[in-house]
Amino acid sequence: MFGSGKTELSLNTAIFLKNIRSHVALADIDIISPYFRSRDERSFLEEMKIKMVTVPERYMHADLPIIPPEVGGYISNPEFLTVIDVGGNEDGATVLGSLKNFIDKVKKSVFFVVNVFRPFSTTKEEIISNITKISMAGRIKIDYLVNNSNVGSETKFDDIKMGEEILTEVSEMTNIPVAFTSVDENIDYEGKLPVFKIKRFLKNNW
Amino acid sequence: MKMLMKGTEAIAEAAIRAGCRLYFGYPITPQSELTEYMAKRMPEVKGTFLQSESEVATVNMLYGAACTGRKVMTSTSSPGFSLMQEGISYMAGAELPAIFINVMRGGPGLGDIQPSQSDYFQSTKGGGHGDYRMIVLAPHTLQEATNMMKEAFDLAFKYRMLVTILVDGMIGQMMEPVELPEWTKPEEFEEPNWALTGANGRKPRKVTSFDLDPYELEKMNLRYQETYKKVSQNEVKYEEFKIEDAEITVVAYGTMARIVKTVIDYARKSGIKVGLFRPITLWPFPYERLSEISKNVKNILTVEMSYGQMVEDVKLAVEEKSDVHFYGRSAGVVPTPAEILDAIKKIVR
Repeated sequence: MFGSGKTELSLNTAIFLKNIRSHVALADIDIISPYFRSRDERSFLEEMKIKMVTVPERYMHADLPIIPPEVGGYISNPEFLTVIDVGGNEDGATVLGSLKNFIDKVKKSVFFVVNVFRPFSTTKEEIISNITKISMAGRIKIDYLVNNSNVGSETKFDDIKMGEEILTEVSEMTNIPVAFTSVDENIDYEGKLPVFKIKRFLKNNW
Repeated sequence: MKMLMKGTEAIAEAAIRAGCRLYFGYPITPQSELTEYMAKRMPEVKGTFLQSESEVATVNMLYGAACTGRKVMTSTSSPGFSLMQEGISYMAGAELPAIFINVMRGGPGLGDIQPSQSDYFQSTKGGGHGDYRMIVLAPHTLQEATNMMKEAFDLAFKYRMLVTILVDGMIGQMMEPVELPEWTKPEEFEEPNWALTGANGRKPRKVTSFDLDPYELEKMNLRYQETYKKVSQNEVKYEEFKIEDAEITVVAYGTMARIVKTVIDYARKSGIKVGLFRPITLWPFPYERLSEISKNVKNILTVEMSYGQMVEDVKLAVEEKSDVHFYGRSAGVVPTPAEILDAIKKIVR
């Protein structure tokens, strides 16, 4: 869903995978967000030798839905473990759907990220409706849910726990397992689900 | 319960909670999420969302809807706001209350989609024709923007004036925890005595911006001026931050004010006493208070994401009682705290 934390998770996942695999790529196919995109962290990723697959440099600030052709190539390339950062909502997922020919041929896992403190994502009914709409637009089956429930800098233990509870109910109703809870590295949290600590990249320096 | 929201979403939800049920708009980055939010949300609250074919159509839809005395609003970004100016002038002349959200981006012309504060002149000095004013509010956090929506509608109806909430793309796009305001039910809102609601059983009313007789038109204009005077006397708002002992006071609004607050911490750690004067109403501008402040501080630095627009009002307020300096970047470039600190050091050292 829009603003659920997919980009932060994509960045962190790519960095995590880089520790265990030699060839990791991050494909930014988010055509929805004008600011705070994974391509804005391109130089940092490239320093880490993670391949950033995104629009050509000269179109970085263009308000155009550009998907570079090499996205398909990286998805197909068996030497690469590729993380795809999809844009929010059905409009963002439509881009994923357009890559179906590539995606169907490879081993993959599809993660659906939820923050229950985001508009239109606060109840299990809303979340399930989003899962249906987005998997249809993305022409793909969701394999896992991720609990990324947070209220930014004001996140408390109970907020994350509430997210876990709602997602667990969603999981029971949809039969889609919750893979993990992602938590800011500065917060101590232990719940019923595995915890993936994340570093926040998309913030202003003031 | 706090929610994690984008500025555009928070403003939209707050407007709905303030009783707005009529939204007309056309998408433009970096405010499109506001339009999109309204498209989803208005049907849920039995309101009307209408996507127009252009901003010119939007403002005229707003004109018509505002005549009925309901709470109406639109949102846009700089080039779209330019397109609305003719209608804004007509609405101001017809003394209609309505809310405009302008999420500013780089310009002039097509510009880019990055944040900017270059529509200050357009908003505060009148981008349209004629002797009119609109109230211009400039929040610097998402929470402030959220809290401001009800106040914006109240001001619009109290004075029968247009209100613009002027934010830059950064406030539109960034995400922060937001405590959403309480609900104002539309039915609690009293219908104004000028609203065009059908003249069945009562005398017809007229909402118009013109009169063919110049003396009558002058009377209308004098009435507008009277209103603007009242607003200038009663509705000026600003924030003062650490100005008591400041050797230099920075004047900034919106995102820039926010960055300056961070700069103040850095500067004070290195022994430079910096304060911030933050106009919350850009029109009416807080001339009087800034004039007083300028008596007690040697240097005033205006920082803007423009090449110098608000600084002209700062100079009008200061009237050479202290030295007015300026630092700005525009076209979508956001000055960093380090740059502003350098600008401060150049003045005080």
